[in-house]
Amino acid sequence: MFETASPSPADGAPAIAVHHLKKRYGPFTAVDDVSFEVASGDFFAFLGPNGAGKTTTINTIVGLANFQQGNVRVFGHDVVTEYRRARAYVGVAPQEFNFDRYLTVEEILVYQAGYFGVPAEEARPRARQLLQQFELWDKRGKDVSKLSGGMKRRLTLARALIHAPRLLILDEPTAGVDLELRLELWDFLRALNRQGMTIFLTTHYLEEAEQLCNRIGIISHGKLVALEDKHSLLSRLSQDRLEIMLTAPVRELPPPLTEYDVLLELDGRKLVVRNASPRDLPRILRALEARGHELADLAIQRRNLQDIFLELTGKQP
Amino acid sequence: MNAVGLSTLINRELRRTFQIINQVIWPPLVSTLLYVVIIGLSVGSRVESVSGVPYVTFLIPGLIALTVIEASFAESSASLFQHRFMNSIQELLVAPLAYWEIVIGFVAGSVARALLLGNLLMLFLPAFTGRWPANFPLYLVLMVLIAVLFSSIGMIMALAAEKWDHIAIPQTFVFMPLIWVGGAFSPLALLPAQIRPLAYANPMFYVIDGFRYAILGVAEAPVWASIGITTLLAATSLGVVLRLFQVGWKLRV
Repeated sequence: MFETASPSPADGAPAIAVHHLKKRYGPFTAVDDVSFEVASGDFFAFLGPNGAGKTTTINTIVGLANFQQGNVRVFGHDVVTEYRRARAYVGVAPQEFNFDRYLTVEEILVYQAGYFGVPAEEARPRARQLLQQFELWDKRGKDVSKLSGGMKRRLTLARALIHAPRLLILDEPTAGVDLELRLELWDFLRALNRQGMTIFLTTHYLEEAEQLCNRIGIISHGKLVALEDKHSLLSRLSQDRLEIMLTAPVRELPPPLTEYDVLLELDGRKLVVRNASPRDLPRILRALEARGHELADLAIQRRNLQDIFLELTGKQP
Repeated sequence: MNAVGLSTLINRELRRTFQIINQVIWPPLVSTLLYVVIIGLSVGSRVESVSGVPYVTFLIPGLIALTVIEASFAESSASLFQHRFMNSIQELLVAPLAYWEIVIGFVAGSVARALLLGNLLMLFLPAFTGRWPANFPLYLVLMVLIAVLFSSIGMIMALAAEKWDHIAIPQTFVFMPLIWVGGAFSPLALLPAQIRPLAYANPMFYVIDGFRYAILGVAEAPVWASIGITTLLAATSLGVVLRLFQVGWKLRV
């Protein structure tokens, strides 16, 4: 779809390498000793409640925030000492709109390309392609203030892509976007990732992270509380919950139920097994049957990323 | 060096000037010419020659300098503050532009606006004085230095300001009084002898006096002192802006 124009990265270097990052605002520590890496080609979701430190972390990566400790590298280039090389790789779509009010929609893309060293004659066809892709071509001569919120969101993404970056950083890319457009954007981002673009996104829509990303980091109160492959995070933390209703109460838990975290409800007629998987169900039921218990009802509650998020952060996303 | 990036930024600044040309070029041009006509020609006709030239001739370099000062200050301060206010400065900060390239881009845009306005005024010079600048290269160099000085001061104010009216405070209460009492409208020789030494301590006097020398060939202070002080002030203020951008003061959180 878009050939990347930014320079070739150092061999094998991760797209993002954050080591022991600490960022304070006066006495408040916004990011506290955070370390993580995002491999080249990853689709990485960075999750956390409001004020957890997501945007601050992004700002340190893209050069909008100074920091007190640690180091941040983009494709092997230090964002402080080699900031120009590091920035050349990155396209960023911030959460807040920050367009130049003296430029039209098309000029916003052409000038942004220019700041990245792409001459206007090269940038114009690319701007046309992106504006058509995001259904903004007929708005190309308009002032940004005339665009709807969804259009501005698409323009933010187009601007981030205009210089064909290798790393795309998206801070809440689908905030305020309707469902249809969100699904289109998801498809578009998947396609970019398939072509090799590394994507790092923050989102309040956990479904978005679950659908799109292959790795997940969760930050809470400035500290990284989870960092792993999406599937292993889900399988490690999202053990399902079995709810077994019996016709008569259980007085004493038979083995192997004693190995599990079991909560007795409804005077012992309901067993809530909180750390079992559906694979464990036959042996649990056999044990209950052996003690003469009769099954009245059975439910398996599957946990999703939202449950894990709430457990790790104790907050709404 | 990111030459394309730098030229894009300069282009953006010039584009901004031409987009608001009815606000930033024609009004100061007309008002300065009105000053020349009303103060210089009507009131000035009743004043004997000043520093060996007619009053209107003496007045014009001061007015051109004042216009260059106001244009360069207004362009850089308004453009940068607006960028900060709207957060669009982030478009520049995330790009692979060196901090000095961003500074040079803003300064060059402001200098261009100031030079455009100053030289448009200069075209009227022969109509009022019957002469062109006495030392054209020096005239151009000093005009650029004055514009660099005040566009740098404008950028410092745009970084320091939290609200629009903060920008005007030092301009109104510090620089303009220093310029007005610094020989823009009358020679220091006309001041009472007791306060004259104080007036010579005003650096703006040398900025205006050197510029007047370049146009008229007459000066109150040694020309080397005026050139030296103007260069020193421009270099210092530019150095301060470069340092502020390097550390990201009020730019990076």
